[in-house]
Amino acid sequence: MNLHNWCLEVCGDYACFTRPEMKVERVSYDVMTPSAARAIFESILWKPAIRWNVTRIEVMNPIKWISVRRNEVGKTVPAPTAKQMAGVAVAPMGIFIEDERQQRAGLFLRDVRYRIHAYFDFVPPSEHKTNHSSEFWADEQEQTEIVRFDETAAKYAAMFERRAKKGQCFHRPYLGCREFSCDFRLIDDLTVEVARPIDETRDLGYMLYDMDFDRNADDPPALFFRAQIENGVMNTDRRQIEVRG
Amino acid sequence: MILQALKEYYDRKIEDPESDIAPEGFEKKELQFLIVINEKGEFISIEDTREKVGSKLVAKTFLLPRSVGRSGSRSYETTFLLWDHIGYLLGQPISDRKSIKQHQTWLKALNNLPLELAEDSGVRAVIRFYEQDEVAKAIASSEASECFKAPQCNMSFRLVGDVPVPCRERVQAFVINSLRTPDVEEVTEAGESDKLGICLVTGEWGEIARTHGRTPINKDTKCLVGFQKNSGYDSYGKEQGYNAPVVKSTEFSYVTALNTLLKSKTQRILVGDASTVFWSQSGSSFESDFSLFFSEPERDNPDSGNQKVKELFESVNSGTYMEDDGDDQFYVLGLSPNSARIAIRFWQVGTISQLALRIKQYFDDFAIVKPPKEPEFYSIRRILVNISTQDKSENILPNLTGDMMRSILSGTPYPATLLQAALRRIRSDTKERVKPVRAALIKAYLNRFNRFHPSDTFKEVSELLDVNQPSVGYQLGRLFATLEKIQEEASPGINATIKERFYGAACATPVTVFPNLLRLKVHHIAKLDHKGRVVEFERLLGEIMGNLKDFPSHLDIHQQGLFAIGYYHQRQAFFQTKNRIENDLNQ
Repeated sequence: MNLHNWCLEVCGDYACFTRPEMKVERVSYDVMTPSAARAIFESILWKPAIRWNVTRIEVMNPIKWISVRRNEVGKTVPAPTAKQMAGVAVAPMGIFIEDERQQRAGLFLRDVRYRIHAYFDFVPPSEHKTNHSSEFWADEQEQTEIVRFDETAAKYAAMFERRAKKGQCFHRPYLGCREFSCDFRLIDDLTVEVARPIDETRDLGYMLYDMDFDRNADDPPALFFRAQIENGVMNTDRRQIEVRG
Repeated sequence: MILQALKEYYDRKIEDPESDIAPEGFEKKELQFLIVINEKGEFISIEDTREKVGSKLVAKTFLLPRSVGRSGSRSYETTFLLWDHIGYLLGQPISDRKSIKQHQTWLKALNNLPLELAEDSGVRAVIRFYEQDEVAKAIASSEASECFKAPQCNMSFRLVGDVPVPCRERVQAFVINSLRTPDVEEVTEAGESDKLGICLVTGEWGEIARTHGRTPINKDTKCLVGFQKNSGYDSYGKEQGYNAPVVKSTEFSYVTALNTLLKSKTQRILVGDASTVFWSQSGSSFESDFSLFFSEPERDNPDSGNQKVKELFESVNSGTYMEDDGDDQFYVLGLSPNSARIAIRFWQVGTISQLALRIKQYFDDFAIVKPPKEPEFYSIRRILVNISTQDKSENILPNLTGDMMRSILSGTPYPATLLQAALRRIRSDTKERVKPVRAALIKAYLNRFNRFHPSDTFKEVSELLDVNQPSVGYQLGRLFATLEKIQEEASPGINATIKERFYGAACATPVTVFPNLLRLKVHHIAKLDHKGRVVEFERLLGEIMGNLKDFPSHLDIHQQGLFAIGYYHQRQAFFQTKNRIENDLNQ
């Protein structure tokens, strides 16, 4: 069930929607991916009860590229060892970025502006519990109390609209990479502010749609779809396009 | 986008019977040496396949079973099918402990060859060669010393009067067959079974490649797609190739296409550390002409490039590139190595007619009056060399090549670093400050910049001297060139002219230098004997000074560029009038 389709206009100086095959020496997709758009909506409002679906991405600015070299950290933070957990005096946890630095090239997008359209699916409270194994919850109390019966779709819809209008967000939304933060604006009335996407019709090949966390939360398979922009608009509605994976 | 286009290129080439692209499971590779044996496996000689081409030794290329990626501490455990380097085949050099291990791997692999291969008379002879311990003979032979000296040394076997063993019909049939039935052994060796998934290039369902093939670029071989384990690339439980699901046959196609392009003579240009390859959706003459527009002309035929550029001009005017295959997509891919991988510097897609127009624009922008000995068109390499430190190609800024190429192909303004580099070189060089190529570059930069950021005060820089150019920088440049010329004629052959001593200050902070130079001019002009010349100079100075109100305290970077062009134009004008006078006298 969904109440409403919202439209956000996002813009930023740089963007990198990394292609999986070139995620080391990064190369961006030509346009924003649905999962990146989803993350922007989630940064404004996310609850276990809602699931965002991106239906349409409109490209407002011409596609421009820039090649940049930058430093990245070449490691993930390790999990604590048994000794560290036991509190024995050993080498401290963590990594020193000075030692783990890597210089990498990237082909990014410049001066981007998109309009993204999305709606959310409401997951009724009774179904939340089944989403997670019992280990997920801290204790019995949390597991039972988390199910609140004052949750309704309309409440979250109002919350989102209020937050988006004020420019509130849980974390700064970004365009593909955390350092490429973006501005966003809720478009109230699409008839007043008519979108003028770029005049381009092109097949972009297969594009990452999202990761399929439903099938396997630890090793989610990637989902792909055939991305096409028609007069600057990319249809990403799962009800209309074929998503493979 | 990139992988799709590469795969497309492969599919196009494999359809074409005349192309020499390798079919699936194979690779075009050079074998420097062949060990010649008879059917009994007895050693006869070692054949050197290399031939001298120019100053380089070039080995013969054969269609061999594809090499396998090997890296890490246990890399010696992998060998190729019936060919490899000297460490594997002969266990040489003996001092290297690794080569002994490699040789053992090789022997083991020979013993484990499937029956259908071992039955082949060529393969049987190879096995006998090792059983009878003919290796020692091969190492002791006089030709072997050549192998030890060679920098790269891929070897295989050959029966007398036959093709190399890996090229034998039965071996090749075996390779094709084994593609259809997945190799069970490989699966267990990798420690895990191959995963199935969706291919992000074609959308097909199939076996995903865990590692991708390597691409030889700049002496080394590196990967275009590669993820090191435990280095921050593992995500959502995925390691290595599973991060980017690409089906094995697609992986083969794009790697082969890329390797073929990089080896090609006509479809690759190398500038600085960046290799640029290009291809069109369907075969076109533009594909083979493209490199001529940008690369340095061959020594023995310096006009080959000029001819092509002129043809381009004509074709743009007559519309040839547009009629035949003008709407065809054309791809330009700039690559440069970065640690163990290949990084993409730029990627340009456009129709041939679009690109033809942009390339013409690039040549138009670079057109400037120049001495007759200068080449008519400059290659990218020549342009960049002349603005890098000490005019050395190894000092070309790595980013600049890609950025400039991208600007040309997308028709956008040139990177600001280009102008900065050119001005820096003009200031630091004392002998030839404003070379024709530098002046051409600055002109192209300024005109192009102005096309995108129009201003009322800027007048397009022309090819020839433009006495009505309103820019202060330009007029100051002319003034400086005139003062230098007066000094040159007044005291010919002096060591340090005002150009050597004052150019930098004159173009950056004119007010500190020009009053002084004008004072010196009075003394210089007094030395001139020829009265007509004096009048000529005074008239010229008057004309230039008429365009100036006062000397500005400083010039910004664009005005400094205009200064350089004004200086250059005025100097060229001096030479040309002189030539003209001489020509008139001769007639």
